[in-house]
Amino acid sequence: MITISHLSKTYHNPGGSTLTVLKDINCTIEKGEVISIIGPSGTGKSTLLRALNLLDPPTGGEILFNGENILAKGYPVHKLRQKMGMVFQSFNLFEHMTVLENVMYAPVKILKKSMEEASEEAMTLLRKVGLAEKADVYPSSLSGGQKQRVAIARCLAMNPEVILFDEPTSALDPTMVGEVLSVMRQLAAEGMTMLIVTHEMKFARDVSTRVFFMYDGYIHEDGTPDQVFNHPTHSATKAFVQRIRKEVFEVDGKDFDFLNMETRINRFCIKYNIAGKMEPAIGLSRYLAPEYMKTGDQLTVRITYSELSGETALDFMQAGATAAPLIFQDQDFRQQLLSICKDIKEEPTTRGFRVKLLL
Amino acid sequence: MGNRLTLLTLAVCLVSCAQRGSQPYELQSEKDLAGHRVATVSGSIYDLKLSQRDDIDLKLFTFEADALQALLTNKVDVMVHDDIFLNHNARDEYGVKIAFKGEDRFPTALMFRKDNFKLAEALNDVQSQMAANGSLDSLKTLWLEEKYLDQDHYTHIPEEPSGEPLKVACLTNMAPISFMVGEEWYGIEPDIARELAKYLHRPVEFHLYDFSSAIMALRNGMADMMSGCIFITEERKEEYLFANPYHSYQPAYYIKDIDAQKAGGAFWDRIRNSLEKNLIKESRWKYITSGLLTTIEITILAILLGSVFGIGICAMTRSRRKWLRRTAGVYNWFMAGIPMLVLLLILFYVVFAKSGLNPIAVAVIAFALNFASGASDVYGTSLDAIPYGQTEAGLALGFTRLQTFMHIVLPQAVKRGLPLYQGQCISLLKGTSIVGYIAIQDLTRAGDIIRSRTFDAIVPLLLVTVIYFLLAWLLGILIQLLTPKKSVL
Repeated sequence: MITISHLSKTYHNPGGSTLTVLKDINCTIEKGEVISIIGPSGTGKSTLLRALNLLDPPTGGEILFNGENILAKGYPVHKLRQKMGMVFQSFNLFEHMTVLENVMYAPVKILKKSMEEASEEAMTLLRKVGLAEKADVYPSSLSGGQKQRVAIARCLAMNPEVILFDEPTSALDPTMVGEVLSVMRQLAAEGMTMLIVTHEMKFARDVSTRVFFMYDGYIHEDGTPDQVFNHPTHSATKAFVQRIRKEVFEVDGKDFDFLNMETRINRFCIKYNIAGKMEPAIGLSRYLAPEYMKTGDQLTVRITYSELSGETALDFMQAGATAAPLIFQDQDFRQQLLSICKDIKEEPTTRGFRVKLLL
Repeated sequence: MGNRLTLLTLAVCLVSCAQRGSQPYELQSEKDLAGHRVATVSGSIYDLKLSQRDDIDLKLFTFEADALQALLTNKVDVMVHDDIFLNHNARDEYGVKIAFKGEDRFPTALMFRKDNFKLAEALNDVQSQMAANGSLDSLKTLWLEEKYLDQDHYTHIPEEPSGEPLKVACLTNMAPISFMVGEEWYGIEPDIARELAKYLHRPVEFHLYDFSSAIMALRNGMADMMSGCIFITEERKEEYLFANPYHSYQPAYYIKDIDAQKAGGAFWDRIRNSLEKNLIKESRWKYITSGLLTTIEITILAILLGSVFGIGICAMTRSRRKWLRRTAGVYNWFMAGIPMLVLLLILFYVVFAKSGLNPIAVAVIAFALNFASGASDVYGTSLDAIPYGQTEAGLALGFTRLQTFMHIVLPQAVKRGLPLYQGQCISLLKGTSIVGYIAIQDLTRAGDIIRSRTFDAIVPLLLVTVIYFLLAWLLGILIQLLTPKKSVL
């Protein structure tokens, strides 16, 4: 249905600087697929959606929609958008129209449907999203969740082949997220082709047939929810799906401000509610960092916490090293360490050698 | 509405307070004027003469009526004007008297552009003929011997021939020099001008100007000659050409007559008398109605033209092309900076001077140009107030850019911008009160004309004010009526 190849998007700022948001996007989307697009902020998820219906036209590459190149000159963009609906984060309902008018406006004006037909269809759709009784009110009197459901009905009124959802629940109170997601779930069950930019991981995992993990302007990982969430192949994917939080310290010599490091570890543990790990983390870093300083000047200390699994770890990465400091070969010392932490992992990396202590 | 009532009450209070109390003065000669506040009309011979004395507090007014009102309300002690300015009846009516008459005699003549010898010579011929056959003397008897107040004595106006009219700029609407009754001009100077027109076989037209506008009109050919008791001075002779003087006027120093019986009677009688004098007598209400129509005409046409033009300016300010945005920016900057009066005068006396365009058309253009700038600002602000999300939602549904703008953005913007637009329209309406400067008789000028004939500074002014309030209110209602109704489908 949609084939995207080598798609790129670069913004040229007035100051002359450029920002490449989409670098090289390649994928094929088939009819009936429900694709969740996940990834950290600023990695081009929304830009990708907006490039697809040309609200933000891409600067390179090719998009085929039902075999037609939509980037070709003279392609009727408004015709494309009639088949490719979009639901916005901020709803964008027409504030000067009632709910019913919002839904029937485009069918009447664009598809030239009669008022009766359009209003009948609109009421059917409003019933579907559970808002038939709000047909004659103005959007300003609706809650966020209701607004977004009207927006979905408005989108459906044009009978699109695919719907692009741009963070449909991000602007909602947590209590209203559910009502919108259940409408979307219903659409997915009816076989609607959907592309959804979302931060609702559970929804993405349960409802999608496919997940794109976007990172740094690329589709970093593309697979079934099971593949992406449970067996990610890239570390960035893993960090994201496990919601790994981290704090990194570059220790650059004996004069490094170790007290400041302790303060920041302290704050990190309080922030993520892992106060129990505070003492071992501070103790280990206070003991081991000076130990590392004996063999070299460069050390990266990192504390990580996965919000998904609850795993907390303290990493020591020495650039250029090929093994852990000698002290780790001392069995008594190891025993002592293991009484404080759960496990010790030692692994060479491309930059040096890492010791990971699971707390 | 409450505010307006308060304002009116305040104005009435101020007026009634100002009329209390007066002092007698022992004034015998011009020397005694020292230390006194003296009112006169700006640009008049008395202005030129008395402004040389630094022991006098000289107050200058545009119209005689204002100077007289200043005297009546004790804002000045003395008013100086021609001895024929107020006759017995009028002096009694207003409660003023002549303290003394000046020594000077000021020869007075009609004035021409410096190079218009032909016309001035023609008038000299006419005047010497009139002097020879005695008709100049009978004119003087008719107008200057205080018989003119009786309507039966007004000269019959004969049918005028067709052709290029002789255009006379009248500086004053004051009997017996030159004054309006209905559409027609009477007085000694109009009669002399008519004799000249008869001699030239041309029709004659009179227009009321203030001094500075009249000078501009004379210079660029919009007027052929200037009338209005213009005294011959050396300075004026350098710039303009005078015909031979037809009379010499004597200055009179008017003061308030504290012994005079003030026109009494009950409050409502006074109101009725005042309305009678200002509206009914000589059908003076016709000035108000025709002025009102002129004001409405200029306002409506300028709003229509300016609104359309404003769309263009607004489109330019939002254009992708830098030079278009720049041009619109300069335009708006210029319109924001230039006083409306200056714009009007430049358009009338410079830009369209040679085009022969009707003054009303020039006023419409001037106000439309200014309105366009304000309107484009209103459009821009209103469009900017509509979030871009509305446009995106329209586009995403499959509307074209134009459809999105027309069906989705514009209806919302109109709703937002209407109160601002209404404000612009009402300030335009009020702004049109300056068109008198290019000799258009609008509502304000109608009030001035009545004032200058009745010397009643307050009633015509209040009346005009009330009409402006009503007009603003009606204009607001009209705009509300034109607002698109709620249903969009």
